[in-house]
Amino acid sequence: MKNIKRVASWGLAFSEAADMNMLRRKALRGWHLKQFRFGVYELEQGESEDVIYSIDYRLLEPDEVDEYFEMFSFASWTHVCSDYNMHIFKAKKGTVPIYSDPESAQDKTNRLAAPVKKMMIYTVTTTVILWLVMTLTSGIIETISKWSFMFALILAFPATMTYLATLFHRYNRIKRG
Amino acid sequence: MKSFEPLTDSVFYIMASLTEPRHGYAVMSLVEETTGGSFVIGPASLYTIIKKLLKEQLIVLHDESDSRRKVYMLTDVGRQTLEADIARRKVMIEMAEKGLERREVCDEEH
Repeated sequence: MKNIKRVASWGLAFSEAADMNMLRRKALRGWHLKQFRFGVYELEQGESEDVIYSIDYRLLEPDEVDEYFEMFSFASWTHVCSDYNMHIFKAKKGTVPIYSDPESAQDKTNRLAAPVKKMMIYTVTTTVILWLVMTLTSGIIETISKWSFMFALILAFPATMTYLATLFHRYNRIKRG
Repeated sequence: MKSFEPLTDSVFYIMASLTEPRHGYAVMSLVEETTGGSFVIGPASLYTIIKKLLKEQLIVLHDESDSRRKVYMLTDVGRQTLEADIARRKVMIEMAEKGLERREVCDEEH
């Protein structure tokens, strides 16, 4: 049985660079990324390795998969794992970054932001509607909508924060030119 | 990267490589060789730019028999776009070259 350790992500919209640095530090201490699922990194114990990690967001069609990963492997980036539209790669320190120009890197942030924005709109709309139902009704409907409202609020809050984080990244990039 | 005009250096190099049919990583190595390694395109940038060029119909899929190495080539619109950007870059270079030459002439006279 191999030693497995699980580390939660802080949310990639907030701390992508910090997460990738964390994975690098873990690898130096012999813990290597094997899987990334539901915001949790699964690390497996092994030899110490001096590597850097990078993540890309792209929803790949079945006929795009081969070409996409081939380009990374040709550029000396090893594919570690994928979860839905997130793909994590590792390489020796000093390898050319996966994004070498600011324009494409900007596109990456936009691709990350699109589903986040959708999620934010859905959850916030639901929360507002439930709040209206809750305040305008009484009895059993009020009770049900009250509980649903609280549940929706729990989802809406992180969704909104994540969306704000993507806006912040975009603002930063524009400011830097 | 909303519009392709003016072309960024990365887009310019990729389009210049696709005047002949080439697959993605042949583009990467051609650019690296030609520039002696001083200009390198990362894989995610290359993939993003190829997808955008396809969408804007500046390049077309030339051969997809090998799913790992799809071959692309400039379209007619792509060639025109590249030519227009070459002209734009020539103006920049000529201005700088002439400026430097004038300076040298002045230095020699004094």
